[in-house]
Amino acid sequence: MNAFIKHSLILLGALSLCTSATAAEGQLKLPEFGGLADKASEVVTITLDPALLGLAARFLDPAKPEDAAVREAIVGIKGIYVRSYKFDEDFAYPRADVDSVRKQLTAPGWQRLVEVRSRKQQQNVDIYILVEQERANGLAIIASQPREFTIVNIVGSIDMRKLHELEGQFGIPKLELEQKNEKNEQKK
Amino acid sequence: MSKDFEQQLRDVLRPVEPEEGFEQRVMARIAGERSRARSKVTRWVSVALAASAAFAAILGTHEWQVRREEQGLEARKQLIEALRLTGEKLDVAYQAVNRESSPPTDVDGSGA
Repeated sequence: MNAFIKHSLILLGALSLCTSATAAEGQLKLPEFGGLADKASEVVTITLDPALLGLAARFLDPAKPEDAAVREAIVGIKGIYVRSYKFDEDFAYPRADVDSVRKQLTAPGWQRLVEVRSRKQQQNVDIYILVEQERANGLAIIASQPREFTIVNIVGSIDMRKLHELEGQFGIPKLELEQKNEKNEQKK
Repeated sequence: MSKDFEQQLRDVLRPVEPEEGFEQRVMARIAGERSRARSKVTRWVSVALAASAAFAAILGTHEWQVRREEQGLEARKQLIEALRLTGEKLDVAYQAVNRESSPPTDVDGSGA
């Protein structure tokens, strides 16, 4: 199972896919989380539809390497939707809402790539991709902890290799997938 | 001499019947003057309106551009934040998987 998860993650890192599907495909119906904003200590709500993504891309300076990398990474992406809430106390959010998103990911086409359940850190992370005609047409990440949860939904073809190139820029953590992968290969 | 002068004055100032159509011509002239004055005002109003419309259009375009730029910068900020969060969560998953694959592990699989 470990090998499966590891290989899945490597596969995710190597995914370089294109698609001609519509924006609606791969888009999850995210709950309103109406009353949560008042309870939360930190809220991040990002809704970037194709129009806003295009607008954002126009404000990325191709002369700057980091901006150019972001521009490259979002080619083929039709929408990015993020809901992230942090709280000062445990489980202040309705887990049913998060589960309702998880339920949508049981629909045909969605495949769970990674499932992390950490009892010690009480941390759950699920990574799903939407595979249509052997092509990844969406990505969903559901990460939850007692005091926070984050849902990321990327619609469209996701070039994780290009996303990987963004590591270390704009505060995006360095995954070091390739280096670690090489180390693992050496160990073998 | 003074009689001649008086006579001349009388001749000059004698009531004269206007020619036929005089009244119509006078009225037409007055109407023409009025309409010319009106058209002058109309022209000025049109010029003022056109200038105002052009100014409003320039102002509106400038306002739209400013708003568009604000929206674009905000969208850019959101895009980078979204990519940062995505990278952060992928990192959490990667680290957990990495910990799991190399003992000792502090990640407890619950059937995964």
